[in-house]
Amino acid sequence: MKKMEKESKNKNHSIERFTKAWAIFIKNPMGKTALIILSVFMLMAIASFFVPFLGPVYHPMTGTDPNITYSTGPSLQHWLGTDFIGRDLFVQLLEGAKVAFIVGLSCAFISVVLGTAIGMISGYAGGIVDTVLMRVADIFMVLPSLVILLILASLWELSIWVIIFIIAIMRWPSVSRIIRSQTLSLKSRPFIEASKVAGASDLRIIFKHIMPNVLPLAFLYMTFRVTSAILVEAALSFLGFGDPGQVSWGMMLQWVWSSGHMFQAPYWLLPPGICISLLTLSFYMLGRAMDEVLDPRLRKEEEGA
Amino acid sequence: MTEEQNTQTPIIELNGVTKEYCLKQTFFSKADACVIAMNNISLAIQKGEIFGLVGQSGSGKTTIGRLLVKLEEPTKGVIKLNGKSTNKLTGKALKHYRSKVQMIFQDPYQSLNSHLSIAETIIEPLIVNRIGNAATRREKVIEILEIVGLSPGEDFFHRYPHQLSGGQRQRVAVARAIILNPDFIVADEPTSMLDATIAIQLFQLILDIRKKFQMTFLFITHNLAAARYLCDRIAVIHNGIIVETGTADMVIKNPQHPYTQKLIMAQPGFSFKK
Amino acid sequence: MVKAVNNISFSIDQGCSLGFVGESGCGKTTIGMTLMGLLPENASILKGDIIFNDKNLTRFNDEKWRAFRGKEISMIFQAAMNALNPVIRVDEQIAEVIQIHNPQMSNADVSNQVKKMFSLVEIPEDRLRDFPHQYSGGMKQRAIIAMALACAPKLIIADEPTTALDVIVQDQILKEIKKVQKALNTSVIFISHDIAVVADVCKDICVMYGGQIVEKGTREEVFKYPRHPYTRALLGSYLTLDSYDDITVPEIREAPDLITITRGCSFSTNCNCKSQKCQSQTPGWVNLSSTHQALCFEEVIHKEKND
Repeated sequence: MKKMEKESKNKNHSIERFTKAWAIFIKNPMGKTALIILSVFMLMAIASFFVPFLGPVYHPMTGTDPNITYSTGPSLQHWLGTDFIGRDLFVQLLEGAKVAFIVGLSCAFISVVLGTAIGMISGYAGGIVDTVLMRVADIFMVLPSLVILLILASLWELSIWVIIFIIAIMRWPSVSRIIRSQTLSLKSRPFIEASKVAGASDLRIIFKHIMPNVLPLAFLYMTFRVTSAILVEAALSFLGFGDPGQVSWGMMLQWVWSSGHMFQAPYWLLPPGICISLLTLSFYMLGRAMDEVLDPRLRKEEEGA
Repeated sequence: MTEEQNTQTPIIELNGVTKEYCLKQTFFSKADACVIAMNNISLAIQKGEIFGLVGQSGSGKTTIGRLLVKLEEPTKGVIKLNGKSTNKLTGKALKHYRSKVQMIFQDPYQSLNSHLSIAETIIEPLIVNRIGNAATRREKVIEILEIVGLSPGEDFFHRYPHQLSGGQRQRVAVARAIILNPDFIVADEPTSMLDATIAIQLFQLILDIRKKFQMTFLFITHNLAAARYLCDRIAVIHNGIIVETGTADMVIKNPQHPYTQKLIMAQPGFSFKK
Repeated sequence: MVKAVNNISFSIDQGCSLGFVGESGCGKTTIGMTLMGLLPENASILKGDIIFNDKNLTRFNDEKWRAFRGKEISMIFQAAMNALNPVIRVDEQIAEVIQIHNPQMSNADVSNQVKKMFSLVEIPEDRLRDFPHQYSGGMKQRAIIAMALACAPKLIIADEPTTALDVIVQDQILKEIKKVQKALNTSVIFISHDIAVVADVCKDICVMYGGQIVEKGTREEVFKYPRHPYTRALLGSYLTLDSYDDITVPEIREAPDLITITRGCSFSTNCNCKSQKCQSQTPGWVNLSSTHQALCFEEVIHKEKND
């Protein structure tokens, strides 16, 4: 009974923190807008799982309408129309939403996990470890990720997961820099020294004390990583180097251009472009709203100083 | 201080300890630029004593504390715990040392991790030294909370630092320092950020703990009057050098060194006696 | 809504010194800020007047405050060292203050006034052209005092001016403040949590707790014969180099949350009087002498006297 009480009190504190953060976030106009737009896209992504069950003609890649073999405008059967071989454009758009989320979130997650771990270790260890890790980070930071991807894609056909992995590998340095400076400033704080004096090992200090203080910042940067990942994948696909077996918004733009419909089919051209812009914009706004939540002013209130 | 105690091994001994901070020689400077924080310091602290180290900012008093808890190593000289040298300890020996020598930090708002509950903060020394199990640890934490005056312990167990006042946070810092029952505690200006009416309560706590557990304290402060109240013996430190040592009464009533005399003269003049 | 200060009444004559002493959260800094018109945006004066030489400060707008601040009333802030601009020479910063309030003064006159101020606070003339980082902590504080005095204000408010300084430097600065006060016949309101420092400088004292003045009188009356339970607790906690017969460890918890006080005496939860009356009724002023008053109930005061 007592253990449950303790756990519920601990949960209460986390809930309390979250509620406070939520209150600030939801008041921010960018936060509100971002959430609305993101919910719409989430619904689209979820819908993309179910739509193919409506019939074989609604499969994004293979769902060619037997009656239509060319691009048509919006109609009752095909809400946005069809592409040059008769596939439903709306279904492709939904599929693109799913891919955008998967690509964006996976890339962001991998690069943030990598960047945070390296940043914390680098900042805490200092000395030669720090120097070496940061020089490696510099090298990665300087490499033009899109160009490298293009070169690799032209040599081998890359599947979507390889693309995700490579984008993530390119993007961790900027996260690690921020996390490293945060770690550096935390390292000499009295509560860290107090843990050392109590006998805590370096590993314990990093994961029990530094990480919780650094995670909010890491999450914030994750939102920015998402935007860049989505854009890189779209650019890659548009240029024709994406995964040809995977429908994405960038791929849709590739098809509208390579099939010569660029100026004839606005119902095909505009939706994916608008979606890319809107989704990246909403993640960016999410990040900005979170920024306000994480503002040190808020932390000061908590400390009661 | 009986004759018997004087001939016993002091619990903490500093012999010729020097600490320098040097900026490495660069292309532009010919010699290393060095700051000597502590210069050939020798001290002996007996078991059960509250030893006061009084100095102004920049005198080196904080550095002595940091060396004693091994946040830093001396450049020269030896620090001894119970007669054994403690220089350059690593691994198990260092961990053992840490369980014997603890610290109460100055800033109650920064020395507790705001993400951890009071219980998690106090329990850490037990976890790190693999003492007890979940149940016995919990009991110990509640016991310690009661000892430091955070009663009822069950209640404070679940709270977070931001729910506590400055004085209460310092009591948590004391709890964390005493839970391993160390031989020696360094109190680094524990009350300089607290109001007078709260500070005096914390001093009472330190006196109670000394009595109850025969614990030895090094009390670092800039306030001569506080040192006199709390301490058996006092050392005055100035520019990294100990200028005077003696019992609290002797140093205050009959100061020998001109710097000590200057410090005493500088205390604000109004007499509160009737 | 939080009442940072409640029902504050005091007066100070030209050339006199008044000290406000109290612990964190008592409202003493708010008083200083109010007298300078430096309250934050979400603060407002609900009731009462502040009369300064026949002018009512509560009616001042921004423009009036700008002309007034620095010239009639001046302030020495806590950690005032940070008030000096690190990239401008010290004498130029003092000169700027003078020029803002005396636009008609010639450059030569301004320069003379600056030199006069520096000699008043005993900073050697060859250090005038230095930058702030070249000054020691004590010298920076003296420069701040010079800046506060530059336009010969009638009143100086010093808010914890020596808290960040070593005791030896603090001693010098307190002597400085007393000296300049005498030389210019300026009034001083000295705010601090350190009762010894306040007692050193001020002839009259107000003790604050929970946003109110709880005891006021001359320093002899308040500090040698304290009557309010809080003042007694405060003095009982004060450590001096003398013997410790009269140190009493109070059972006070930290200052109450100003949001939750609604009725009764603000000190009642921490008071050793243990009276039910104090928690429900607001105490009034008890006159102990023509100059000495305490905000309490008669029976509690007399109980304290007999203890």
